Amino acid sequence: MRLDLTILIPHLGFLAEGALLTLEACALALVGSVILGMLVAIARTSSSQWISRLAFLYVDLFRNIPFIVQLFFFYYGLPEIGIYIDAFTTGVIALSIAGGAYASDAIRAGILAIDNGILEAAEVSGLSKRVTFTRIVLPIALRTSVRPLGSVLINMILTSSILSTITLNELTGQAKIVASDTFRPFEVYVVLLVVYAALTYLVSLGITLLHRRLNRDLQEQVS
Amino acid sequence: MLKVENVKKAFGPVTVLDGVNLTVNPGEVVSILGSSGSGKSTLIRCINGLEKLNAGKITVDDFDVSKPKELAEARKRSGTVFQLFNLYPHMTALQNITLAPIEVLKRPKAEAEAEGRSLLAQVGLGDRADAYPAQLSGGQRQRVGICRALAMKPRYLLLDEVTSALDPEMTSEVLDILAKLAKDGTTMVFVTHEIEFARQISNRIVFLEKGVLLVDLPTEKFFADDGGLAQPRVAQFLSKMRKD
Repeated sequence: MRLDLTILIPHLGFLAEGALLTLEACALALVGSVILGMLVAIARTSSSQWISRLAFLYVDLFRNIPFIVQLFFFYYGLPEIGIYIDAFTTGVIALSIAGGAYASDAIRAGILAIDNGILEAAEVSGLSKRVTFTRIVLPIALRTSVRPLGSVLINMILTSSILSTITLNELTGQAKIVASDTFRPFEVYVVLLVVYAALTYLVSLGITLLHRRLNRDLQEQVS
Repeated sequence: MLKVENVKKAFGPVTVLDGVNLTVNPGEVVSILGSSGSGKSTLIRCINGLEKLNAGKITVDDFDVSKPKELAEARKRSGTVFQLFNLYPHMTALQNITLAPIEVLKRPKAEAEAEGRSLLAQVGLGDRADAYPAQLSGGQRQRVGICRALAMKPRYLLLDEVTSALDPEMTSEVLDILAKLAKDGTTMVFVTHEIEFARQISNRIVFLEKGVLLVDLPTEKFFADDGGLAQPRVAQFLSKMRKD
């Protein structure tokens, strides 16, 4: 078997379209899952029993069901009861919901790690709960949870390949088509391996930079 | 006036404050002494509303800290400095100081920052406004902590063992600031183990023992043989602290 990547040249544009779709879906799902994760993390640390229980239920539920089953339920199951959502939207929603469950864990750990004395200082100075949360709790929590959040995001990019099973021709979907058109699965999937690895590498690089930025005050001690 | 009336506080089966009465008038510096576990810090935490009282009443300028609606007003009138600084780690020294004035007192940002800088200059940190807590020494952090409390222009400054986490050199940095504040007429409730310093700056000294306020005397009288020292427990405490 010889590796001959030149046979893929005519298909590069087609593959790039798929990669773009993967990026779009992941970017939207990233925003969705972080927002959802924050809301759920707040709910899980809430003093109201009902709210925190509901949040725990959500996290347990979506972490304990295979992603492909969630996806099939949304795409093939819901139309049975009259709910139709297109493949792209379904993909983004499913990724956001699944990712949100993991993201909330990362953010919640960051919230719980905050020194209680800092919260007391905010309380006695008269800051409202809302200001304390947005200006103190969340920024401090993100300092520690940005790395675990990065793993969640990388996982999301990897998981997005499953979206090809609901007719969404993102990177993996397009690659499958090219492979069956050219009968050269070896070359096609070599390229796929490299592209996914590059994509996730870029993301982890970005996370490292963000982590450094959020923890810039500690740089002197670390280096 | 800051008034503590017959306050009781227990954590589970352990009684920490057992009927404490204390009045602090504007302009006074009152030091609270006592061994570890005597309830000193808990008393401060009751005054600023971090602990709920089991019985009794605390008012800050007539605002009852046990009433949720009055607590906010009471808290505006008192500022707390903590033993472990409790600075916001993700904010610069200046941001630590200006957050509450901007958010709670609704002061314009530029004005709050100008005041924050002048406070920092007063404690010798004029050039460290943009430093993060992790980049400051312990003594510097505590000086920022004091500025953060002062920025709210409190009528009463509550100091909870503010030098206990500092080495002697840093302790004196912080005590110098407090001495200056006392001279300027700042009202302070000062929980401390620094007996000699308490003697220098206080108008009154209060001695807590197992949640009971044993002695409440003018400073000179507290250290006199026929005053505080007449109390065996106080004499024992003072001689032990001086030996250490």
